[in-house]
Amino acid sequence: MSLQLVFDALSLGGIYAIAALGIALIFGVMKLVNFAHGQFIAFAVFALIVPSANAVATLGIGALPAPLLITLVLAIGAGLAVLAERLVFRPLRDASPVSLMVASFALGVMLQNLLLVTYGGRPKAVSLWAGLGAPVPVLTAQVPLLQLIVIGAVAAILAGLALMLKRTRIGLEMRAAAEDFGMARLLGVKANVVISGAFALSGALAAVVALVLVAQTGVADVRMGGQIMLVAFIATVVGGMGSLPGAVAAGLLIGAASALLQAFLPPEARPFRDAFLYGLVILVLLARPQGLFAPAGAKPRV
Amino acid sequence: MSKLGLFDLAVRYGKLTALANLSFTVAEGERLFISGPNGAGKSSLLGAISGAVKAAHGRVEMDGEILSGRAPEEIARRGLSMVPEGRRIFAGLTVQENLLVGTGQRRDRGAVADDLATVFDSFPILGERRHAPAGALSGGQQQMLAISRALMTNPKLMLVDEPSLGLAPKIVDEVYERLCALQALRGLTLVIVEQSSARAARVGGRMLLMRGGRIVADGDAAGFAAQDLLTEAYFGDAA
Amino acid sequence: MTTQHQIRRRAAATTPVLLILVLLAFVLLVLTFGDRSTARMATDALISVTLVVGFWIFAGNSGVISFGHAAFACVGAYVSAWTTLRPAMKTMLLPGLPAWLAQAEWPVFAAALAGGAVAALLALVTGAAILRLSGIAASIATFAFLAMVNAIWSNWTPVTGGTSSVVGLARYVGPWVALGWAAAAILVAALYAHSASGLALRATREDEVAAAASGIDTFRHRLLAYALSAFFCGVGGALMGHAIGVINPDAYYLSLTFVMLAMLVTGGIGSLSGAVVGVVAVTLAGEALLTLEHGVTLAGVPVSLPPGSQQILIALAMILVLVFRPAGLLAGREIALPVRWVGGRRTDSN
Repeated sequence: MSLQLVFDALSLGGIYAIAALGIALIFGVMKLVNFAHGQFIAFAVFALIVPSANAVATLGIGALPAPLLITLVLAIGAGLAVLAERLVFRPLRDASPVSLMVASFALGVMLQNLLLVTYGGRPKAVSLWAGLGAPVPVLTAQVPLLQLIVIGAVAAILAGLALMLKRTRIGLEMRAAAEDFGMARLLGVKANVVISGAFALSGALAAVVALVLVAQTGVADVRMGGQIMLVAFIATVVGGMGSLPGAVAAGLLIGAASALLQAFLPPEARPFRDAFLYGLVILVLLARPQGLFAPAGAKPRV
Repeated sequence: MSKLGLFDLAVRYGKLTALANLSFTVAEGERLFISGPNGAGKSSLLGAISGAVKAAHGRVEMDGEILSGRAPEEIARRGLSMVPEGRRIFAGLTVQENLLVGTGQRRDRGAVADDLATVFDSFPILGERRHAPAGALSGGQQQMLAISRALMTNPKLMLVDEPSLGLAPKIVDEVYERLCALQALRGLTLVIVEQSSARAARVGGRMLLMRGGRIVADGDAAGFAAQDLLTEAYFGDAA
Repeated sequence: MTTQHQIRRRAAATTPVLLILVLLAFVLLVLTFGDRSTARMATDALISVTLVVGFWIFAGNSGVISFGHAAFACVGAYVSAWTTLRPAMKTMLLPGLPAWLAQAEWPVFAAALAGGAVAALLALVTGAAILRLSGIAASIATFAFLAMVNAIWSNWTPVTGGTSSVVGLARYVGPWVALGWAAAAILVAALYAHSASGLALRATREDEVAAAASGIDTFRHRLLAYALSAFFCGVGGALMGHAIGVINPDAYYLSLTFVMLAMLVTGGIGSLSGAVVGVVAVTLAGEALLTLEHGVTLAGVPVSLPPGSQQILIALAMILVLVFRPAGLLAGREIALPVRWVGGRRTDSN
């Protein structure tokens, strides 16, 4: 049982970490808390299927061979995010973080209703990679293949992202911009390039979450990004706003807490798992308002 | 042609006027000090030149090209570099990464590597700690890093805001020594905000005295020390 | 002798009076010339005034955006339902209620007050944790709070009915009742804004660090405003339930949050008048778009928008307001009589 729990915690936490990274990347470079991230996820989910109001979805892009499908969905996620930046957030570049946040909330409502108009409101059955549910014996546990793939993919993405941030020019510029955007620009770092890059990455990460969600649940629902976005928000706050390693660590931690609550809460309390989780987070923040992994120098700018 | 020219430049924050229709030019290779009391508009002036602060009126030209209205990164890419007040080191990045942030627009990869080697030669401590986080450096070392970081963009014109702020006098001497040596080596044009006009006089160069967003005097820094212009700038003529 | 300061205060005091008079005129107009559906629209709009003005008491004065105020409306609505529904109804729909609550048959006014009070209490308790965070982190935490309340309400079936609706609420809320509460909210909001706490809180909105340096206890003032604000949102939630007779948790979740935000942002978060004007503007726009969705005939050509476009267009309008008029329609100004009108006879002109 305990080994199974470890896999549950890792795969759930991994997905939370990927979603949290999507939030933290954008917050880091432009202090935007992106409330449309959940709809980015939902949009990538629906990109897999042919527009119709039917209860069982007809796969469009989703019917392509996996490598092509994954590339295409990531590109769609990235493209949507870059487009959102260009049309909504670039005109608001100098606005307050509060205005940015409210605008992203409005964008989310817009995207959600666009999906509703195009696909209808009922959740749809989607069978994407149905074979991945098969259990695989790992030591003493039976682990679904999908869970192993998710854990592997998350590890690969985190490693790839870390490498990109550490070794590439755009990665260096993003990290510099996240620390002090004004100074980075004074050194010739192009704001538009860095911000578009962060949005593209964030959108691609949203698409990763979308693929995992569809494969896990077999459902496409316009609301499906919401819960995970909320967890991602919480992870970025707990991780110390804008800290990428903090967001990842907090995402993993919240996944673990969630898996533990699911395993050890009495059955009648399980429906309230998320409520317990959010309550737990508020308690954590009460003890450390600046987040668990806030950088040492974190203080309000005067 | 002058390196830098300001024509009728004004900066306002709401109703507050920070710079009131300033005009002056700086010649190629010149060293210009800008001095004056707090709130004289020195930092606003540097901000308006570098594009960080929007001008309400007037224009800034570099090499005859209009800079006003351009984004800070475009201005930086035209050969203007900034050592800002408070240094603004990227504390979480390593020393070497700090130095490389501004080299993105340079196509001469080999020269970037040479410049990096030169920085590490002239500031061995930065070389030793090239892979350490920049936040761990001392104040004086951070100032050297900020200057080196600005140089790594291969600028023609460098703005330096209060390089002596928060540093021990002995370190300040060293900072200026380095700055002047670098200027001679590279044929840089330097605009330096320096609160202490005595310091400016010692280093030597041209000096502008500002008060209340205006230029109240313009001349040789050494000459200022002898006159009471300074007292006047600081304490006003109402005394 | 009347000082300049007193005159200005007197002019500011005309704001709530004018706002209430405008709403009164609106109700009279609707009841005289409208039909039942316009009366419904007026009721909804006035309930929104209660909600959004309540929301403004916190968000407007503190500058911190809350995503959790729909949760207070949810709590208020259910408290009012628990205390007013017929006991027979409650045994059937909500078997998990404690006996004293299952037997309760309170008057509707007391129930609305109780709804507001419980919401305010909940705000005090959760705010004590949430409001210690800095502005943006606090906003995110309020969102977590909203999700938490929704998760509890959707799953606590014996007490809340779960995701299925609770029906049979007394439908006592019409334009006049809604106007009464809207007026109360406006008056209290104006009083709070001019109180010492309101002024202190607005100072923190301009500059948190400077306000803290001058000895303002940001947390305490935020918490007070939060609780007061939750009270009117709780009442507003109860009014919503008693206007249509049905409640369920999802009616008090993201879409309500969005509508309240859209109204506040459109009118302008910086002023009380902005909150009221925002409600009117978004309600009218929403009605117009809904009519278009149902289809109209323009110059002999039938025109209709696809269903669902109302929300899309309101969201779009909200983004446009943020880009082109970031401070909202009123841009922080208050509707008030000009200073010279309220100056009275100047006796100090020697």
